[in-house]
Amino acid sequence: MRTWVYLGVAACLAGLGAVRYGAVPSSYDAAAWQSANPEDGKVADGVFVSDYFDLSYRLPEGWTEGLAGPGPTQSGYYVLGTWAPKRDFVGTVLVVAQDMFFAPESSEVKNVVAEFRQVMSAVDGMTIDSEPAQVSVGGRPGYRVDFSGVGLFRSMIAIEIRCHVLTFNLTSRDPEFLASLVRSLDNLASVRKKTSDPVPECLAGYATSENVVHRVEPDDVGAKAVSIPVRMIVATDGSVKHVHVIRASAAQRRNIEEALRQWKFKSYVKLGRPVEVETGMTFNFKPANM
Amino acid sequence: METIKLTRARAHAGLAAMLLGSVAWSGGALAQNVSNTNPNAVTTSTTTTNAATTNAATTDAATTNAVTVNAAARGQNNNSGGASSRSGATDPGVRGGDPGAGGALPGLNDVERQYFDVAKEVFQEVDAGPDGLGPRFNLDSCSGCHSQPTIGGTSPATNPQVAVATLMGAKNVVPPFITANGPVREARFVRNRDGSPDGGVHSLFVITGRSDAAGCNIAQPNFAAELARNNVVFRIPTPVFGLGLVENVSDGTLEAALAANAQQKRALGISGRFNHNGNDGTIARFGWKAQNKSLLLFSGEAYNVEMGITNELFQNERDSDPACQFKVTPNDSTPLVSENTASPAASFQNDIDLFAAFMRFSAPPTPASATATPVAQAAPAGQTTGAATATTGAASGTTTTGAATATSTLMASASADASSVLPSAAGSAAAQSSSPASSGASLTRGGQVFSNVGCQACHTKTLTTEKSPLTGQSNVTIQPFSDFAVHEMGTGLADGVSQGSANGNEFRTAPLWGVGQRIFFLHDGRTKDLQEAIQQHASRGSEANTVINNYNLLSRDDKQSLLNYLRSL
Repeated sequence: MRTWVYLGVAACLAGLGAVRYGAVPSSYDAAAWQSANPEDGKVADGVFVSDYFDLSYRLPEGWTEGLAGPGPTQSGYYVLGTWAPKRDFVGTVLVVAQDMFFAPESSEVKNVVAEFRQVMSAVDGMTIDSEPAQVSVGGRPGYRVDFSGVGLFRSMIAIEIRCHVLTFNLTSRDPEFLASLVRSLDNLASVRKKTSDPVPECLAGYATSENVVHRVEPDDVGAKAVSIPVRMIVATDGSVKHVHVIRASAAQRRNIEEALRQWKFKSYVKLGRPVEVETGMTFNFKPANM
Repeated sequence: METIKLTRARAHAGLAAMLLGSVAWSGGALAQNVSNTNPNAVTTSTTTTNAATTNAATTDAATTNAVTVNAAARGQNNNSGGASSRSGATDPGVRGGDPGAGGALPGLNDVERQYFDVAKEVFQEVDAGPDGLGPRFNLDSCSGCHSQPTIGGTSPATNPQVAVATLMGAKNVVPPFITANGPVREARFVRNRDGSPDGGVHSLFVITGRSDAAGCNIAQPNFAAELARNNVVFRIPTPVFGLGLVENVSDGTLEAALAANAQQKRALGISGRFNHNGNDGTIARFGWKAQNKSLLLFSGEAYNVEMGITNELFQNERDSDPACQFKVTPNDSTPLVSENTASPAASFQNDIDLFAAFMRFSAPPTPASATATPVAQAAPAGQTTGAATATTGAASGTTTTGAATATSTLMASASADASSVLPSAAGSAAAQSSSPASSGASLTRGGQVFSNVGCQACHTKTLTTEKSPLTGQSNVTIQPFSDFAVHEMGTGLADGVSQGSANGNEFRTAPLWGVGQRIFFLHDGRTKDLQEAIQQHASRGSEANTVINNYNLLSRDDKQSLLNYLRSL
């Protein structure tokens, strides 16, 4: 079993970002954080807030949300937001996330950036301006690569949160403006009020027979062959306290949620104490005639 | 029967009559030489494809977009140059020159070429009542829809649906979304009257009143009522050039190509997935939503849906009113005696086999060299140029033909070292101002822009075929400019029709080979302006939003270079 351990947002942030930028919305509470999903982030009053990723970011002055992207995919890929200037269209920011549980290839942040660099360097007319390098983004460790071509200057910065690789993709036709955009990412702050709020262990492949003591299969979900990715949070008593069916029809979603609510896991113990676990699994369905 | 000249004599009588050795002919059919029967050919005509492999259309309730319906209906001939005006760049318009397509794949042997020649003729046949046309139909021939820039292409400048509406005494009312200078269209209803999903094609015309349909008295659908409730969406014909090569790309190659630049896609907000066939699980790749698994299936479905001619894949009439049936069903069936064509193999083929063969054996488009490409330069700031975007005549913008020489790479890249230019693109001042140096440079730059902004993340330039039974077609590198995956294209393009696993927002990446000679763009033909088509890729929920943002960040010259490059394809 491959395990990713949550990087410990509390330790990384230590509240510094929030103090520096004062971007913490007042509505946050632990319950909201635990029931939030990756795609739930939104911009309000010029601040992007994602309870799930425990992130807030004050958009540059005069910027707003761009067109929303598509919904989550079956590989756990999310377009979290697009931000752009209201008037002079000099640049854009695209924030996306890839669920590491469902990524089809290596999803370690360092490898993601390295692979991205390789792909971009093969693009005709593209120049790698700055090789991948470790950086700190709002107190979070990450990697950054800069590249340019056909008059567009771009940075891709990747960090990991809750077993997701988040990438900030910044583009401008003005390299100096791009630099200012990159600097603005230091506005990234925590939205959590208390660093003592429980943080689940992020474990890949935890929903196996080794750990599941009671399992109920979801009802048939239709005639088409489908693979449905699901994330869940397992409480300290082994019950499933939150289910996120990432991409499915309404009927599929309902059936899977109903089944998973009945599952029971062994308690996960760390340092002698039971802790919550966040994990993922894929339900594969095939019609009867296949 | 209105017919073109054929080398193939077609049996239009039913299967029973043929079995009795009493071959009946429709009017004007040519003589049949039974002695030329080739017993071996019978096996080649056996059709075993399961029609059930078509992904049925249903409607995705959540994605139905009435606004799109209205926009498409209103904007059918939109070529206002609005996008061009905003950016200063200009669509150079339809290029002239040899498309490189329309003929047989280079490298085929004589037998294969003869087979293709017969298939191409059948593709151009005009059908009528005795052939089984209708009772409901959109047009009366394959090539009527697939004709721009040549046989096998897409919607021509003059819509033949207007004339067919009243051909042979028919009294059809031409719906408002069909115009003389608009695109050939089929119409789909998003929902049934009871609110349940529809998504299927509702043919525009009926044979009622035609001199070859005496006694038939069915009525057209009530398009006015459906339009009034924003329930009509459209599709235009997809070009069929080079599709045998596409058919011969393995699933593994497609999957590898989709995965090859996955990190770049993610950085652009792009994902994409394949529309897998519900029966065998392989990748379907034909049609606007990649809903059709094979060319044969594509042929069979279109024959019934577009022309109302039942066949061995789609056996049943879509309107079974007995007063409107003028041929046994299926209307098109495998001949069991030779039809005496120039190709012994084709003599025992039914129409849909030959339609599929035409597509399978047809050469892909080849890009023009700069000498044949209308290359415009960006208009100076503040200047809007609409002239070039109004150019719809295929030959109006060019004076030379740039037929590329076929090689093992069937479609060469747009020439990077092209040295000459272009001429008077229908009065386009922008085009006239091009210089030889700028033209070649512009295409080279345009290719870079295409890749840099992210177009190529979905419009994958190259794929390689696997081993082929056709001579010279194995392991060929092709440049279809498509990943053949379906992508979420947002509310602006959504048609609310679900086919297979493609939902109402998703469309297959349209292959761009030959785009330089297309008149109408996007699935419903809503615009003639290439730049407008680019902009229409962006809307709420679209995977292309970031790529379009990148495009909008470009300088005017780079936008122009991209447009020039695309029009060179």
